[in-house]
Amino acid sequence: MAHQAHPFCMLNPNPWPISGAVAALLTTSGLAMWFHYNTLQPLALGLISMILVMLQWWRDIIRESTFQGHHTLPVQKGLRYGMILFITSEVFFFLGFFWAFFHSSLAPTPELGGQWPPTGIKPMNPMEVPLLNTAILLASGVTVTWAHHSITEGARKQAIQALSLTVLLGAYFKALQAMEYYEAPFSIADSVYGSTFFIATGFHGLHVIIGSSFLLICLLRLINFHFTPNHHFGFEAAAWYWHFVDVIWLFLYMTIYWWGS
Amino acid sequence: MAALGRVSRLLLGAAAPRSLPGRSMSAAAHEAGGARLWKLLTFVVALPGVGVCMLNCYLKAQQEHERPEFVPYAHLRIRTKPFPWGDGNKTLFHNPHVNALPTGYEDDH
Repeated sequence: MAHQAHPFCMLNPNPWPISGAVAALLTTSGLAMWFHYNTLQPLALGLISMILVMLQWWRDIIRESTFQGHHTLPVQKGLRYGMILFITSEVFFFLGFFWAFFHSSLAPTPELGGQWPPTGIKPMNPMEVPLLNTAILLASGVTVTWAHHSITEGARKQAIQALSLTVLLGAYFKALQAMEYYEAPFSIADSVYGSTFFIATGFHGLHVIIGSSFLLICLLRLINFHFTPNHHFGFEAAAWYWHFVDVIWLFLYMTIYWWGS
Repeated sequence: MAALGRVSRLLLGAAAPRSLPGRSMSAAAHEAGGARLWKLLTFVVALPGVGVCMLNCYLKAQQEHERPEFVPYAHLRIRTKPFPWGDGNKTLFHNPHVNALPTGYEDDH
């Protein structure tokens, strides 16, 4: 049996990177084709292939780590750097939309009535559902921390309970936001107020969906004994991402929902 | 109950050596009983906080909201290009009760 004399994970050639790139190209160009040429197929194909690549690539990573033991400490360290860098890049992504919001709201143009919120816009009361959503995300940050400590201490039943609660709170947030979107008296087409509001909160909502899906996968893995008290980086990455989503919401709430009303 | 103990020992037994030099973000640094603290915070602070906010929303929703009068402002209900769905005139989350079209509300109320 051959032994490797180094701690790094030398992957076999696999089709996921190129397939992922093709899927991304199909999705982006498909979106443009939907908007301009009224054709839905490339977009649908792009989204389906993107989901397939994600499922298969991440399934393979779980196989390489949990079942084949390739995730040694140096490999894990690299993954930590990777996740931190990725989340940092997402911070910059949202920074752009916050910039756009402040650009338009700090000096409202005459076309908007020289005021913010613009004339004719009735903003949401930040003390109603948005406040509840804030409490929900903060609570989910507490429950995910409870889950992490439970995993570290080997308390399986508690960990499952805590992570399930976290996923449930995430679902509650998504449901409330969807309802808020439907009940909103203003739309994305209502001046730059609507644009900045729905783009910023919309991308945040997308990240909530991503983050809670990641946590759900972790819950399934937790139930299936994939994590040990000392090695559970998949869970840590999900928890970091979830905290990031929470922080973005807090900034959204303070700036767009509260100051912006 | 005994199975839980066996599972816990299995989880702990499978763990790699806990304190290694150079492991900065290591699980070994967590104090024992941390789970108990966060469990307490969950059920005493976090979830009751959510409950209070839920109650607040429920009470506020009891009051009827008046729909603002329709004024055909040029900066609202912008339609530079039709939307790629339906008749191209309704936003994705269009709600006829609270969202007016560029020509006005669709319904009486």
